[in-house]
Amino acid sequence: MAVKVPILKQGKVLIASIQEDLSDSDILDLQHRILEDVIRCRAEAVIIDVSAIGILDSFGTKTLSEIAYSVRLRGAKLVIVGIQPDVALSMVLLGLTLPDIPTALDLDRGLALINGG
Amino acid sequence: MSELISSSIAEGSGNLDLEKIFRWFDLTEEDRACTVELGELTDDVGEHIIEAFYAHLLNDETAARHFRDDAHIAQVKRGQMRYFRELVSADLNDAYVADRRRIGSIHERTGVTPTLYIGSYAYYLNRLAHVVLERMDEDPHKAFHLVMSLFKIAHFDMSLALETYVDAREEAIQARERELSELPTPVLQLRPGLLLIPVVGTLDSHRARALTVQLLEGIQEHRASAVVLDITGVAAVDSAVANHLIQTMAAARLMGALSVLTGLSAEVAQSLVKVGVTGEALNTAGDLQRGIEMAEQLLKD
Amino acid sequence: MQHPPDVLVQAIRYDTDVISARQLGRKRAEELGFSRPDQALVATAISELARNIVVYADQGEIELATIHQPDRVGIKITAKDRGPGIADLESALADGFSTGNSLGLGLPGTRRIVDEFDITSSPGLGVIVTVVKWSRR
Ligand SMILES: Nc1ncnc2c1ncn2[C@@H]1O[C@H](COP(=O)(O)OP(=O)(O)OP(=O)(O)O)[C@@H](O)[C@H]1O
Ligand SMILES: [Mg+2]
Repeated sequence: MAVKVPILKQGKVLIASIQEDLSDSDILDLQHRILEDVIRCRAEAVIIDVSAIGILDSFGTKTLSEIAYSVRLRGAKLVIVGIQPDVALSMVLLGLTLPDIPTALDLDRGLALINGG
Repeated sequence: MSELISSSIAEGSGNLDLEKIFRWFDLTEEDRACTVELGELTDDVGEHIIEAFYAHLLNDETAARHFRDDAHIAQVKRGQMRYFRELVSADLNDAYVADRRRIGSIHERTGVTPTLYIGSYAYYLNRLAHVVLERMDEDPHKAFHLVMSLFKIAHFDMSLALETYVDAREEAIQARERELSELPTPVLQLRPGLLLIPVVGTLDSHRARALTVQLLEGIQEHRASAVVLDITGVAAVDSAVANHLIQTMAAARLMGALSVLTGLSAEVAQSLVKVGVTGEALNTAGDLQRGIEMAEQLLKD
Repeated sequence: MQHPPDVLVQAIRYDTDVISARQLGRKRAEELGFSRPDQALVATAISELARNIVVYADQGEIELATIHQPDRVGIKITAKDRGPGIADLESALADGFSTGNSLGLGLPGTRRIVDEFDITSSPGLGVIVTVVKWSRR
């Protein structure tokens, strides 16, 4: 299966850039790969860039939070960047607010957030 | 009971239940027949009163301001004469009602206050009573009845005019609210990264949604990391509005921007608590100045 | 069965069908002049309803119909399946109720983001969810 989400390594930071709308199995696949890579690379932080995603529904959001929690259990940080205005609105209306997961406007800001604190 | 009257009048002159209203004013067929008795005296009495009435009006500075010039006064006097003939003819039909309401709305528009209106009507009736009693002194009993009947009709008149006042005011208020609610909310950049959104007016769900979208797009456009939402100018914050505000801030956070809410009154703070918000989940500041300081502080951390 | 041109149907069986259905919905919403946020809401509603079909009913379909009215235009989304149905509708519509170990926000969340929401189900005969999203002109 072609990899839909490339995971780049930049120092101790992993950057997963989602390129297109993902199916549920794509998201589960991503979850799996991120956790593997965090361990393999001894990553200290993960950034998931969702700016190309047109919708984040309950399943997608739930899986993102699960990824964040497992990454955290590994002692690393996770930041979600690039949630678009219309996506943010529909998430909130659905009842999905990702309360304890750090977010940032875009990749640059996400990197700044990780390096800053 | 007065509610019955006003609601039936408010329906508009077209479908007024006149009979019901006449009963309320104790305005009987007899009354309506009675005033006609003034007969040929009508024009004479009318002229007399109108002269006295306008002398009185023009004597008062406030009242006099409503008349542009002599031509205007002459025109209004002619109208007044017609008005008087109609009053006496007691032909109180829908057209009569519509006409009285039209006059009421002209008064409202031109700023004739209820005090000015009722005060001058009282003077007018007073003079009228005197003149009628004088002219019909051969039959004081009949004159008295006639005056009483005219009084009833006059009060009916006044009620129509005042209902029109209230309706017009109500409409003006609604129009202003509509205007406010259609006003787009400005998204101001205080300095790079910091936005200020002064929310003004009524926040119905349609407008709240528009506000959220504007804010979120503003965050993206300005690459903002903090937002100050000032709700000092929000008319009423019930739990629905509170919910909208919270959703807006939650959505901003998803985009990586933190928000500070300012301008909360004690009541607003309470409705926020009611929808389950605690201070720690929400950055709030008493006034705008402190809100901006707070946002800048949060940006530094 | 012949559908009028204003009606689009997407069979739902695999999770890729969920993507197709929501893309179809977004495209239709865009064609009809829905705002960007409303397009996202239409796509999100479809996504939730279609996923429920895949997860709980194995297969079904999503039908999209356009409603034209003088002052507004709407998209009617009908999600149908012949799966096991929902025994307790009231619970299924409450935030946080899930038999699938999920967030339980799909149905109640969808209800919040659309303008009209209707669900019928008889145990053993499947579920029909009909929602409408309007766009003001
Ligand atoms: N098409 C369906 N057929 C049978 N049962 C359903 C169907 N759709 C929903 N349900 C039932 O209703 C419950 C609530 O559905 P809902 O979509 O709200 O939450 P969920 O699917 O469990 O979680 P989420 O959608 O947040 O991932 C489900 O757990 C399931 O028991
Ligand atoms: Mg679901």
